[in-house]
This record gives sequence, C-alpha cells and structure tokens, in this order.
Amino acid sequence: MSERLLSLGLDVGTTSTQMVLSQLTIENKASAFAVPEMKIVDRKILYQSPVYVTPLLDESRMDAKALRELVEAEYRRAGIAREDVDTGAVIVTGETSRKENARAVLEALSDLAGDFVVTAAGPDLESVLAAKGAGADALSEQLEQDVLHMDIGGGTSNLCLLRRGKVIRTGCLNVGGRLIRMDARGRVTYVSPVLEGLFPIAAGEVMTRETARALGETLTRGLEMAAGRLPPEDLLARLQTREAQRPWEPPEGEVVLSFSGGVADCMETAHPFLAFGDVGPELGQAIRKSRLCRGNYVLGKETIRATVIGAGSHSTQLSGSTVFCQNIPLPLKNLPVLREEEGDVREEELSILAIPGIAAPSYSQVIALAEKLLPRMGKQALVCLERDMAKALGQALAARMPPDARILCIDGIAPGSGSYLDVGAPVGGAFPVVIKTLVFGKQPMRREL
Amino acid sequence: MNKQQLAAMVAEILQGMGQEPLAKGGDYRPAAPQPEQKPTGYQDGDFVPDITALDLRKLYLVEEPQKGDAFRRLKEKTPARLGCGRAGARYKTLTMLRFRADHAAAQDAVFSQVSRDFAAKNGMEEVQTLCRDKDEYLTRPDKGRRFDAQTQEKLRTLLPQKPRVQIVVGDGLSSAAIEANAMDCLAAIREGLQVRRIDPGKPVFVRYCRVGAGDAIGDITGCELVCMLVGERPGLVTDKSMSVYITYRPHTGVSESSRTVVSNIHAQGTPAVEAGAHTAQLIETILKKQVSGVGLHREAEA
Repeated sequence: MSERLLSLGLDVGTTSTQMVLSQLTIENKASAFAVPEMKIVDRKILYQSPVYVTPLLDESRMDAKALRELVEAEYRRAGIAREDVDTGAVIVTGETSRKENARAVLEALSDLAGDFVVTAAGPDLESVLAAKGAGADALSEQLEQDVLHMDIGGGTSNLCLLRRGKVIRTGCLNVGGRLIRMDARGRVTYVSPVLEGLFPIAAGEVMTRETARALGETLTRGLEMAAGRLPPEDLLARLQTREAQRPWEPPEGEVVLSFSGGVADCMETAHPFLAFGDVGPELGQAIRKSRLCRGNYVLGKETIRATVIGAGSHSTQLSGSTVFCQNIPLPLKNLPVLREEEGDVREEELSILAIPGIAAPSYSQVIALAEKLLPRMGKQALVCLERDMAKALGQALAARMPPDARILCIDGIAPGSGSYLDVGAPVGGAFPVVIKTLVFGKQPMRREL
Repeated sequence: MNKQQLAAMVAEILQGMGQEPLAKGGDYRPAAPQPEQKPTGYQDGDFVPDITALDLRKLYLVEEPQKGDAFRRLKEKTPARLGCGRAGARYKTLTMLRFRADHAAAQDAVFSQVSRDFAAKNGMEEVQTLCRDKDEYLTRPDKGRRFDAQTQEKLRTLLPQKPRVQIVVGDGLSSAAIEANAMDCLAAIREGLQVRRIDPGKPVFVRYCRVGAGDAIGDITGCELVCMLVGERPGLVTDKSMSVYITYRPHTGVSESSRTVVSNIHAQGTPAVEAGAHTAQLIETILKKQVSGVGLHREAEA
C-alpha cells in the first residue's frame, strides 16, 4: 500500500522563475508484523515549466500581478488544480528576496500554493534544496571525499558542504551572473549594490569583454576562497550575504566540487559575450579556468533547474512513524525551534522544543523526561526528538496534562538552532516536515493556535 | 567366514594396533617453528573481556582492507556477520567464539526460566499451562495453550469477567526477552489505554506460555480482546526480542489470521516503550473496528 503527495516547487530567482510539480510516493517499509516505518520511496517530476524571466516592475520591485498570472497559467498547462497540491516550497531566492515587495509577493503567491506549502525558505534551505536537486547528496554518498556544491545563480551562490549524503553546513555568497546587466550594445543598465567598493563600474558606462572577464575573475577568486583553494582574504568576507546566519567556513580537507545554477551552464559551453546581457558567460568561463576546476569536479544532473527541482522534490521529509498528536490543528507553519540549551518556552509565542531524547528508554525514563518538560510547557507541549520515543513521550505528557491540552511529539527530526518547522497532516502515521530558515526574519505565530 | 576365522581376524587387528600405537595429540611435533605465545596481560582469576558486548555492526576484522571505511559504513546498516576476515580457510578465533556465544545465549533464552519472583515483583498473578517443565513445553506445543481445571478456576476468580481488554504476559520462547522488555512495554500500553479512557484490566503472567494460551483465557474471561506480550524464538542477532499479539474475540480454535502482531521489540529494533504506545493505539482501533489480524489490514486498505 502506498500513498502519494503532490509537491509543488516554485523558485522566484534573481533571473528566472520556474515551477515544477512532483509526486512523492510514500510506503511502509516495515513488514506487516512490525511497527510501521513510512519512507519516501520515489520522487517523480510530473510537470516542469519553462524557465521564465522573473517579471520586475522596476529594479526594486517584483511584478506581483504578472507572477501570479504566470503561476496560474502553469497550473492550467500542468492540468493540476491548486487544491490538489499537498506540500512543497515556494521560495524567493537571490537578489529577488531583497526586493521591497518580496514579502508581499510571497504572501500573494502562497494563496496559489497548497495549505502545506512552505514559503520564505531562506538561504540555508535553498542551499540544501539546490544541492539535492542537482544530485550532490547522492554523489557524496558514493564518494569517499566530501562534496562542496555551488549553485551559482543570477544574484547569489548557494554553498552546501556534504559528507556521505548528509549536510555539514550551508552558506551564501553574493556571486552571480546578473550582478551587472548590459543592453545589446554593452552599455551597463544595472549594477547590483553588493558590488559597491568591490568593482568600479557604474550604470551608463560601456562594459567591455575584458572588464567583464576581470569581474568574473574577481568573483571566481571569492569562490576559490570559499572552496579552500585559495587562502581566505577580505574578499570572501565582503562577498558574504547579509542574510547568512554565520560566516562561511571553507572546508578543511580536499573536496569534490559540484556545480549548478544558470552560470554552471556557461562553464562547459562558451556563449557570446552579450548572449544574455549579463556577465554570466564570462563568470562561467572564469570558473572553468580557475582552481575550482582543477582536479575532480562535476556538473549537477540538473543545473539551472536544480533549486526548483529541490524545492519540488526534496523540501519535505517524514518524521518517525510512531508519533503523538492531540488537539493540534494542522498544518502548523513557521514554528520556531527552541533548543534545550536555549532556555524555557516563552509564553508569548508558540515554539517547538528540540531535544535528542534517549535510545531505547525505560518507561520510567520516559515519565521522568515528561515531568522534567512539564513545568516548561503551558497548555501546549510541542516537542521534536531525534530518537525513536515520541509516541511514548506524547502519551506520558497527555496523561499528565488536561484533556484539552495541545500536544505534538514527533521524532526522527533534528532541526538546527535558529530553524523553523512546518508540520503537515500525517501520512500513514508519519508527519511531513519541512525544516527551514526564514528569509524575512521572524514571523511569530500566535501562541494560541 | 565362520566364527573362528572372524575371531582370529579381530585378534590379528588388535595385535597390530598394539605393536604400532596410533599417534596421540601430544606426540605431534610441527615441522616449522611455532610463533611464540604472546603474553595475554591477564592474571589468574581475571575475567576475560565479554566478547558478546562487542557491537556486531562495528566489528570489522578484515586485515589491510582496500576500502575499510566504506565497508564499515555498510556494516552500520546490518548486524549480519560480514567483514569477518579469516585465518587460513577458517573463521578467526573471535568470530568463532562470538558465534558460539550468541548461539549459547539463544539456547539459554529458550531453556532458562523467567525468574520465580518476576510476576509478584511486578504486581501480577502467575499461572502455568499444562506443561510441567521446559522440556515438555518445547516438545508439546499443544500443552502450552491450555490450563488444567484447577488453573482455569483460579483464573476465573482472579481475573475480571468480560473485560474489554485482557493483557497476558507469557514467557514464550525467550525468557530473556520478557525480563528485558515486558514491563516497559506494559507500562506504555497501560498509560496509553488510560489516556484513551480504556480500562487496561488486570494483567496476568503465564509460565510455559504459547500464543494460543490467550485463546483459552478468552474462553475463561469472555474478554473482548486479548493482548499478549510473549518472547520470540531467539536468533543469533538478539536473544531479547519480544512480540505483541492482539486477538479480537479470542476463543479456542480462533484462526491465526485473526491476530495482529507487533514483532521485533528489543533495544536495537522497536524500543519497548514505543511498541507499547503503538500497541495502545492499535487496541483502540481494533476495539472500534471490532476486527483484528488480516481483517484489520483489509479494512485499512478498503
């Protein structure tokens, strides 16, 4: 017996907007004589949109109406109603996320997505989605070496360091193909503010191929430092995005590099200088000739589509299958994760406590943990654990709280500090969960559900 | 050949053996010099390290492997005895001893008794099936499913009549499994049922117990559902694996297909407390749907 989830991926990037619809197949992998163990066993792409240019009203605002129409038209072309979408992610990435109306646009688009579709993903999740969409996680599982995936888009480069299929860390740099744009004759029409003080060129000046190459080489040097192929200098710090939670640390050892994003398409193929009216072709060629491509490197199995396919197919994970939920209306969105060491649950906002739990505990240990947690909870107890004990802990809490208490206990989930959870309605007993960071800072949920 | 000839031949053979004695083990001298015996570092009276405490998933014995790290990662996924290396054409001593130790533990789990005070210590009454001892239990499965008239009478006075849920703890084929898991699992089942406003009733411990003993208890109590925690036949991976069998409307002769099973309950499998919490929910579902076993699966798929 298998269940299916229809998952939406919508990526509104600096340059391009794309949409995919994927079907996630979920099956019980345990025998009929054991406790169920639900797993995502297949991810199939049902529909891929063309790569659209992200519609802008002007340099600081997206065209919300055009975006909405675009998405509606894509639903029609896919032959899928928005009500049928179960999960997925709508993400506004790169420079687009810094537009004045980014938040409003995202909120408008979330109407068009399903009930349990994540919006406002943030650079950490984007990096993970791009790496998974490009297949870098699978690659790192096969290799003895760590893999550093770089998704080089129009405005930013999302970095993700992977070891044996697991994410070690993520980062984001202001390196992209469309930080400068030119018209057909090479006159500069736009210079991203992030280049201020890094590269002396202004709108109205004429961009020569040599200048574009020099910019490509400068940005590539930043990537070389990020990959540990050059000692880190001031340039690396200056290319850090302000959204990043912590500065990027280059990998300690030798890594295999993996590339995706629109610029990755300009690495193997040399395009004419003004083919796209930006510095993407020169940046791609600079990367191809740099230290990044000495030794082992791969192009992702998806390049320009890596992030959107990641959003559609890899944003959702499943909790353990023995979990506990009582009086909780689902989906829950934007739940701040509170780590054990970060103090008590605050009264004013709903949050979920993340603790490791105990492997194969005795029931008295379960009760002891429940009693330790109780004073930290109000009328609501939301807990996520790494170890398989959520159902036992949930019922132990339920036995010690009033019958109308709201309790959610899930396991098999290890969110990092500063992350947020979205939790959807259960599938065969397991809860679909998306771990994310938020683009626009905190959006506290009302404490009373 | 007549009797005399035969006697003469035997005498001849015996004589020959006397003249040329067979080689004895102690007389053997190897042609090549032997490696020197390494000092063990142990004193007389020391305990040798417990080889059964080594995690099979981490025990990798191949010498000079080409991709040892990769093999170790694969080994994490299974307790199978892989990557054991070899000594000539044979197992290494550690592999051989561990195999025999695990085999012995499995046999012990079958042949040993759940301790005499187990039931009383955990607030349960104890009864015994028709089997008089382990040997009879192992050779006569039919006797492990029934009680004599006196025990039936005892159960009738001991247990509530027509309860919704009757919980039974039975030693089954692994006493070790019951001692390790039953009480944690039972505590989780009881609290889980109480949260769901279902009376967990009064659990009873059955010695020399087969799953079918629950059917006999169904006959005696008229319970709506019997939930039995019972030791599984041990294997070489663990001797402490327990199962839960839930039967709706149990009675002698009920079909095996009407049982819902949760198996593999042990520290490396499903933790006892999670299995218990899961069982409590299953009991609620089975009482609501009034069906267990294959029928419940059909209902879920319909």
